Formats: sequence, structure tokens, C-alpha cells
Amino acid sequence: MSDTIRLDRVIGRTIRTANNRKLGRLEECRAERRGDSWVITEWVIGAAGLFERLGVGVRMILGFDAGSSFVARWDQVDLRNPDRPRLVCSVEELKRA
Amino acid sequence: MEEHGLTPTIDVVHDVLDKHIVDRNGREMGRVDGISVELRGGAPPRLAEVLIGASVLGSRVNAVVGRWVQGVEHGLGIGEERPVRIRFSHVDEIGDKVKVDLAVGETGSETLERRLRTWILKIPGSR
Amino acid sequence: MKKIFNVLLGVVTSIGGFVEAGSISTAAQGGAEFGFALLWAIAVATIILAMLAEMAGRGATVSKQSMAAAVRQRFGFHYQMIPLGAELMIDLLLLAAEIGGIAVAIRLLTGAGFQWWVLPIGLVVWLVLWFGNFTIIEDGVGLLGMITVSFIVAAWQLHPEPKAVATGFIPSIPDHDLTRYAFLTVSIVGATVSPYLLNFYSSGAIEEKWTEPDLWINRTTSYLGMGFGSIVSMGVLVTSAVVLGPLQIRVDSYEQAALMFVPAFGRWAVTLFACALGVGCFGAAIGITLNAGYVLSQSFGWPWGIDKARRDATRFCTAFTVVLLLSVLIAVVGFDPLQMTLISVALTVVIMPLVVLPFLVLMNDQQYVKQHKAGPLSNGFLAALTIVGALMALVVIPLEIFGG
Repeated sequence: MSDTIRLDRVIGRTIRTANNRKLGRLEECRAERRGDSWVITEWVIGAAGLFERLGVGVRMILGFDAGSSFVARWDQVDLRNPDRPRLVCSVEELKRA
Repeated sequence: MEEHGLTPTIDVVHDVLDKHIVDRNGREMGRVDGISVELRGGAPPRLAEVLIGASVLGSRVNAVVGRWVQGVEHGLGIGEERPVRIRFSHVDEIGDKVKVDLAVGETGSETLERRLRTWILKIPGSR
Repeated sequence: MKKIFNVLLGVVTSIGGFVEAGSISTAAQGGAEFGFALLWAIAVATIILAMLAEMAGRGATVSKQSMAAAVRQRFGFHYQMIPLGAELMIDLLLLAAEIGGIAVAIRLLTGAGFQWWVLPIGLVVWLVLWFGNFTIIEDGVGLLGMITVSFIVAAWQLHPEPKAVATGFIPSIPDHDLTRYAFLTVSIVGATVSPYLLNFYSSGAIEEKWTEPDLWINRTTSYLGMGFGSIVSMGVLVTSAVVLGPLQIRVDSYEQAALMFVPAFGRWAVTLFACALGVGCFGAAIGITLNAGYVLSQSFGWPWGIDKARRDATRFCTAFTVVLLLSVLIAVVGFDPLQMTLISVALTVVIMPLVVLPFLVLMNDQQYVKQHKAGPLSNGFLAALTIVGALMALVVIPLEIFGG
């Protein structure tokens, strides 16, 4: 069974941990070509929000990285409710960006 | 992302969303206004479709704006063909622009342009 | 040789196209109320405009994308919709003010009442865009605009004291009405650094098919063209300062501003002023309307270009037509064009930080400008401008209320 969600509506949403703590915002997802399909392999979770898309700009304007970022594997994020993305593992299991 | 035709990994928001999209002949089709993702239990989510259309943009602002723009599209007679949906399997190249292996006429992306053309051709000097 | 001729033409048309409703009204008021003391504001505003325009042209030439297209692409729709929406709103008001300015000019010339001139004026603007191409519009309108050099001629004829004029280029605190002085300073910046000009200029680089070897043309047109153009603006201020200042005439209408030409041009004063005002506003009206088409098409990914056959860019044509129509409706309601100018100029200042911030990122993005990145001086300038712009944005509305 599969659901279809809108990526552009998920991006920018706050993702919460299993115990309902705010972790950050879903800012980017990485995808890989496998055969005929592009599959999402990772999600970038950051505190910088919109600024993530500015990339270099943030460091230049603010002089420091705005908040820390995590990278979650596709199976560590639950998007069945796209308005409320959830982490399905502990924060310690995430990679640091 | 390095771009040489089919590349192994992309950053979807940075490399695809809001980029220009062109057909196999290089003709403009608009911009990637939205992307749909297929969630598959037990398998990685798959990028399903590229979405083109003002109502898609509107719904990125918020749901009410999206529905209002959809109403306008219906009023203009193009509601049936909006949003334009292009399966991700048709995406050929992701670089400065997103290139698909379809011709623009095979999608509905030019409907409004063509409809306005029938009006504009009535005006002298429309070349 | 041909390239040099084109560059000279570009500089000349930049001079002719520099002043319009915003710059004429703010310079006239500035001169009448504070003498030469605001000349530095015009100079600083022009430097800001020239630097931003050069960057916009550079980015467009290298990446083949206008500012609006680059902002959508690099920052996404969520960021862009705010400056885009704001810019369109300001453009509607400013376009209505320019159309109103042309209508006032016609009334000065013919004595005939004002409101209904707006409709044929709108039609003429549309016809020029419908039947014209980029060369006719840029060069034709710019050359016609050379009549605005009459402001420089008038200032020259009045023999202002050179030392007094020179002192005006040094920022100073006035001895009266500080709030009003601050308001006019900020308004002069807003009138000069119009957001529409930056996207218009970057779109023009694409219409003219500039390539990297043409970057020197971009630099020359930006700095020399706008530099000389600002002399026209300064001419307005100096003439107003010498003629209207001593009479304590506060310029509340274009009719009052026309009086500044009397000593220099005698019985031709009103005619010349009306022509200069009318042509200046006409050029701006064309530019703002065309840019509305550009900015909407580029943001949404529609085919665009005034050199394209109209049938091949129907959404672009519809966009500029609708914007023109809306502005004509605003103008026909009969709001005072001078007041509309000052409001749109103040709103320009409010959104300026949002307009400037993308430059800071794009000018350092190799994907956009390749090896033509901004150097430390330019980055410093942009960062300072963003901060100063943010400060101005905070104070402009209170200043408008208390000093406007």
C-alpha cells in the first residue's frame, strides 16, 4: 500500500522525536537513481530553516552556522502524517551534518 | 551536485524544486512548482511526479490560497489540465535546468499559453 | 567601433531615462526645503544603484538568468513570494504615479483637466510595448528623455555658488526640521534605487544577448550612465534650491515645481518643465510595465521577451497588460500623483533589505556568476547596505508619518 505526499509541503515542517520534542525542520532530502526511479535515501534536518537554502550566505551574513543539522536515513523518518513528521529512532542514532 | 547527465545523488530541494523545466527539444515548460513522493512501507520513498501549475505554488503558500488559485484555473478553463504531472521516470537530466524526455505538447503545460494565443492573434500587430 | 557606439548610446539613454516622478518630486522638495544639503543623498543613492545594477547585469550576462529567475531558483518560492508580492504592489502604485505625472504634464501643456488623460496615456504605453521591440523602447525612449537635460541647463543658467553646491555633497545635520530632512534623505534613496530597475536592467542584459566579453559594457553603462543620469537629478535639486527655496515654496504639487524653470526659461518654463516631466514619467511607465511582465514570467517560468513575437509569449503579454490596466484604474480614481509617488518610494525602502539580500548570496555563488564573483569590497558594500537598508526600512514609515 502506498501513499503520495507533496514534498514541498513537508519541507520546512518541524520534525519531532519519539517523545514529542522538537528536533528541527526538514530542510532537504537526498535522492538516488535506482533503475528507472529516484528514491529518497536521506533527510537533512536543520535548525536554520529557510536559511539552509542560502547555504554559504548564512555563514557570510551571520558569521556562524545557524544551528546544528542532522542527517536521517529514510527509514528513520515517519511521514505518514506529512503535517507532523516524526523521528522513529533516537536522536543519538542520527548522523551530524 | 555534480551534473553530467544521469547523476547518482541529488539534493532534491536545491537541485530540482523551483528549477526551470524543459522538454526534450529544450523548449520551456515552466518551473518545478511541486514534487510528489510515493511512500512505500518498508522501501525508501520514491520521487513520483514533478508538478507544474499555479495552484501547486498557491498550496505552498497555504491550502486556502491553493484552492483559490485552483478555482481561478477552472475559471480560465484549464483546471482539467492542472497541475501538469510528469512522472519522475521521464526526468532525463538534472543540471541548470531539469530536462524531461517528453515534448511540451505531450503535457498540458502550454494550455494557458495556447488559449491566450487565440485571443492575442485577434489583436493587430501580434506578429 | 559599433560596440563603442552602442555603449555611448547606452550611456546617453541611461541619462535620458534617469529622472521620473520619484526623483523629480523628491529632488524638488529636497532643494526647496534644504537648499543644496541633500546633494550627497542623490550621490550616495546613485552609487548604490550603479553598484547593484552592475551586479544584476553581471549575473544575468553570465548565468543568462534575470534577478527574479535567479531568486526563485536559488531561494525557492517561499522566500521569493514576499519581495515579489511587495514589488508588484509598489510597481502598481509607482506606475499609477508615473501615469499621473504624464497626465499632469499634459494638463500643464494644454490646460485641459487631468483624470481622463489617464486612459489614452495607458493606451499609448501599451501600444509602444505591443508594437515596439527592445531597441526602440530602450533607445527611443532614452533619446526622447534627453529633454530632461533641461534641468541641468536651468541649474547652470542660475549660476549657483560653486562652494555652496560643493558643500551639499558633504552630509550634514540641518538646522531645522531634522525629521523632514531624514524623511527626504530616505525618500531620495527609495526614489533612486527602485527595485524594478534592477530586474529590468538584468532582463535587458538578456534581451541584448550580452555575453561575458560584454561585461565591460555592463560596467560602463551602469557607472557612467547612472552617474551622468544623477546629474540630471542634481539639476532638479539645485534649480529648486535656487528658485523655490528663497520663496519658501514647499513643493506640494508638480504645478508648483514647474515654477523652478521660470528664471532660466522665461515663457518657456511651463512648457519645458511639462515636457521633461512627461517624457521622464513616460519612460518610467514603459519600464515599469515591461518589468512587470518580466518579473511575473521569470518567476513562473513562462516564455518572455519584448523581442519575441507576441503570439510566442502570450502569458508575458497578458501579464504586463493586466498590470498596466490595474495601474490605470488606480490612476483614474484620481489620487494625487505626487502623494502616490512618495508612498511608493517609502514602500520601496521598506522592502529594500529583502531585495538586496539575494545579491549578497548570488554574487558569491559560482553557479550564478562563475569566476566573476564579488570581491571583498563589494561584499562589504552589500552587507553594509543590507544593514543600513534594514535600519531605513524600520524608520521610513514613522518618518513618513511625522516628516512626510
